[in-house]
Amino acid sequence: MSIGQSPVRQDAAPKADGSIQYAGDAVPDNALHAVIVFSGRPHARMVSMSTDAARAIAGVVDVITAADVPVNEYGLTMLDQPALVGVDHTGVAAVDGAISRWEADQIAVVIGESRAAAGAGAAALDVDWEDLPILGTIDDALAPDAPLLHPENGLPTNAYHPLKIRRGDLEAGWADAEVVIEGTYTVPHQEHAYLQPEAGTAYIDDEGRVTIEGGGQWTTEDREQVAHVLGLPDERVRIVYKAIGGAFGGKEDMSIQIALGLAAMRLAERGERRPIHCRWSREESIVGHHKRHRGRIHLRLGATNEGIITALEADVTLDAGAYNYTSNKVLGNAHLTVSGAYRVPNARIDSRAVYTTTVPGGAFRGFGGPQGAFAIETTMNKLAAALDIDPVKLRLLNAVVDGDEGITQAVLPEGVTAVEVITACAGRAAFNEPMADVEPFAPIATLPPEPTVTRRGRGFATSLKNVGFSFGFPERCEAEIHLHGDGDEPTSADLFHGGAEVGQGNHLAMRQMTAEVTGVTLDRIRGHFSDTATSGDPGSASASRLTFMSGNSILGAAEEAEKAWRDGQRPAIGRFRYTPPPTESLDEETGEGQPNFCYGYMAQAVEVTVDTGTGHIRVDRVTSTHDVGRAINPRMLRGQVEGAVVQAHGYVLSEDLQVSDGFITNPRLSAYLIPGIGDIPTEVDSQILELADPLGPFGARGVAEMPFITYAPAVIAAVHDATGVWFDEFPLTPSRVVAGLRNAGI
Amino acid sequence: MKYAAPTTVDEARSLLADNPGSRVFAGATDLIPQMRSGRPEPAVLVDLKRIDQLMAVSHGEGKWTIGAATPTADLTRNGAFSGMFPGISEGAGLIGSDQIQNRSSLGGNLCNGSPAADSVPALIAADARAVIASSDGTRTVAVAEVVTGPGQTSLADDEFIVEFEIDDAPANTGDAYLRMIPRTEMDIAVVGAAVRLTMDGDTVTDASVVLGAVAPTAVRVPDAEAALVGSRLDDDTLAAVSAAASAACNPIDDKRGTIEYRTQVAGVLAKRAAVIAADRAQNGA
Repeated sequence: MSIGQSPVRQDAAPKADGSIQYAGDAVPDNALHAVIVFSGRPHARMVSMSTDAARAIAGVVDVITAADVPVNEYGLTMLDQPALVGVDHTGVAAVDGAISRWEADQIAVVIGESRAAAGAGAAALDVDWEDLPILGTIDDALAPDAPLLHPENGLPTNAYHPLKIRRGDLEAGWADAEVVIEGTYTVPHQEHAYLQPEAGTAYIDDEGRVTIEGGGQWTTEDREQVAHVLGLPDERVRIVYKAIGGAFGGKEDMSIQIALGLAAMRLAERGERRPIHCRWSREESIVGHHKRHRGRIHLRLGATNEGIITALEADVTLDAGAYNYTSNKVLGNAHLTVSGAYRVPNARIDSRAVYTTTVPGGAFRGFGGPQGAFAIETTMNKLAAALDIDPVKLRLLNAVVDGDEGITQAVLPEGVTAVEVITACAGRAAFNEPMADVEPFAPIATLPPEPTVTRRGRGFATSLKNVGFSFGFPERCEAEIHLHGDGDEPTSADLFHGGAEVGQGNHLAMRQMTAEVTGVTLDRIRGHFSDTATSGDPGSASASRLTFMSGNSILGAAEEAEKAWRDGQRPAIGRFRYTPPPTESLDEETGEGQPNFCYGYMAQAVEVTVDTGTGHIRVDRVTSTHDVGRAINPRMLRGQVEGAVVQAHGYVLSEDLQVSDGFITNPRLSAYLIPGIGDIPTEVDSQILELADPLGPFGARGVAEMPFITYAPAVIAAVHDATGVWFDEFPLTPSRVVAGLRNAGI
Repeated sequence: MKYAAPTTVDEARSLLADNPGSRVFAGATDLIPQMRSGRPEPAVLVDLKRIDQLMAVSHGEGKWTIGAATPTADLTRNGAFSGMFPGISEGAGLIGSDQIQNRSSLGGNLCNGSPAADSVPALIAADARAVIASSDGTRTVAVAEVVTGPGQTSLADDEFIVEFEIDDAPANTGDAYLRMIPRTEMDIAVVGAAVRLTMDGDTVTDASVVLGAVAPTAVRVPDAEAALVGSRLDDDTLAAVSAAASAACNPIDDKRGTIEYRTQVAGVLAKRAAVIAADRAQNGA
């Protein structure tokens, strides 16, 4: 048995002793250095740019501008972003390449003998702009006189990708409602704050491929995007991942890769073949890459006095920022999760993304789920309070079960375990018993709580999250296995896989699954990962999909390799491309369709202490319950749960990205406060259920995003339980908490 | 930019006199980030850590003498000092992180001029004095008179602090410093409150209340002190302390805390610090 065990990760020791090579470490001695120049203009049309002064600076090797870009458009799901904003460009793009639509639109790549020389060159660029109106908020962008940021999409407004749900008989649902809960919820941006900012090195490899070594989440998709801009066939571009210091969705889109690829290609044409290195500072990273979407959700829920949901209306608006990135997909997931893991017979939901001249919204652990779950779970907790029903019981009354339709009027994929998860979580947390005493909390050594003003409370939340890509995307994952040995059974194996190790431990999980199915011991499984020259299309390390998808691809490849082994082939080679059941995009008018093939179910119970004098909130205990189908590596799984809870802790309590007139004004970790070790929950109890998924490898589902999604509404409910005050907006910074308490007379 | 490391106060004096635009430093924990963020480089960086007098802590003749460049970790680890001035020790122990505290100093924390400096309110509450080296000798001023505004001090360009003097605390005296930051460590005070009380039984006979991070400089709160003296720290007194502390605030509105928040929480912390200081005065630290 290899799965179900927790062997030490192959990357643990080198990460602990610092010897592992991240992209920022692996700088060749002869490397040139690239500085990517941001526009610094949230909305402006470039009138002219002169590179003469920059080129005259000693040590500046070259300046790459829009004139060097073969196809000046890119984007993970829509080609709505210029690679480089500039006046002189090729015109091979639908999007107007002369306009900067956010402060970090890239306008040039300055290549220098040193980073200092490149930086001096960047400062010497002479650019003239004609400023355009800044659309700094959703409301600015939806104003009748707002200019269109993307007229090329043919829409008459900055709102786009409208989604609908029309289910049942809404009037009848409202007629049946004996209690109505209505609210408007405001959700904030969140910065990924991965340990390793964006870094990479580009060069032309021995086979003439434009090669980019760096970090990312999906090798072959990165290759496709770079190749499109460079005007090259995919095979002429190579993507290699070094060790990756965190991603969380923030490395799903392009950051430095296209700029580096352009530089390597153009410099090689000019006879300069030294490798080119680029590394973003923390400030460049925070300003220069997308964020979790901020947005506004209006939700109205009707129920009977017994607590049975009769009607739901929701209106979801997410701030896409300047470019789509994955906003359309994130919006889709918020659209699905805003009705929760509940039977909702009558519903009307309208959702849309809105372009603004601010930092783009994009993928981030949970992918729209946290926004949707915050609105519905807070509404459910308000309903429980209004009806004086236990919040766990209320959920069990309404939770979906196998055979139920989801909100899109398609039967949910088999393996619906919401009831089991909710029940297990409430039991483990002893939710229906009085809270155990805890040590009086002391968030700061010298700021002890005043016992007369601290209050304790508990909260509960549940949700579901899709595993794998949704809405008809051609989901797939490829693996290749080579079996070696002289005897009857293989004694070693090679696994070739593109799946990204972003810190989550997937490479060990893949090796464990390979060992399990081939019978070769784990130490004899050699992994060859994340190089488009040697591995196939893995799909992304996202959507909580990689264990599920890579496991199925490995099962298939192992079966093929074993056939080859029995046929006498040595090494015996098996290749496999796994494709799950197809999904569907939603009907434009009714939202009908089957959007997903698998879900993971989760529930969380949270206990907090609130200091009503200072507004400090201490989370004393978190019970985080997850049906993972099968735990491939239980210790790494707990790491995922605890890591997600800590990240969600920052989201709901302290992380406050300030965006003013299109500019991020706190792009530093000294002013954007992620949790420190003293801030995190005192106890995280990871409760793992293994209720096999019918399609999952060994029954496994996914877990990466699930512990994040329900944490904010669970904490908000616990704060209400402690203080009697509902917060419909977060983060719950001390200032916001004290203001809310004072407004309530506390 | 040149670097100099004098070994005597006189040598440092000469360097400053001969090189206008120079700047002294101790741990450089503020200086280096400031220079990295674009602050102009001084002509000569004068490192004071090689001067023995600035790195010494001593006790005698009824007072403590603390070298201005002494790492704050040396103070927080000094049991005798921390026993007599737990509030000063608390403030010094909140600067940055453990690593920073092996570099940070009382002189640097004060002369950086931040209204949020954690070691300053309790020093003022203890009536600490700064001994300043000038071109023609030394002068001694109250710590409260050193900082004149954010980043501004009353020191001339060629002056630097040699050491601090703190008279022994009277019997039955206790002090305390509380700091509010959004998280638990590694942040800059949103509100700081130092209180020092001398007690006779249950009754307060002397009181100092000083707030940080709520005005351009650390501020004393005479109305809170007046409310405390003669009281037994009953609820009305504590409410008056709280109200006086809030009334003394003139804070900025920034990312870390709103004006309203800083004002309210200054009252909360002053009250809590008073209770702790009284307990220490009566029962020891």
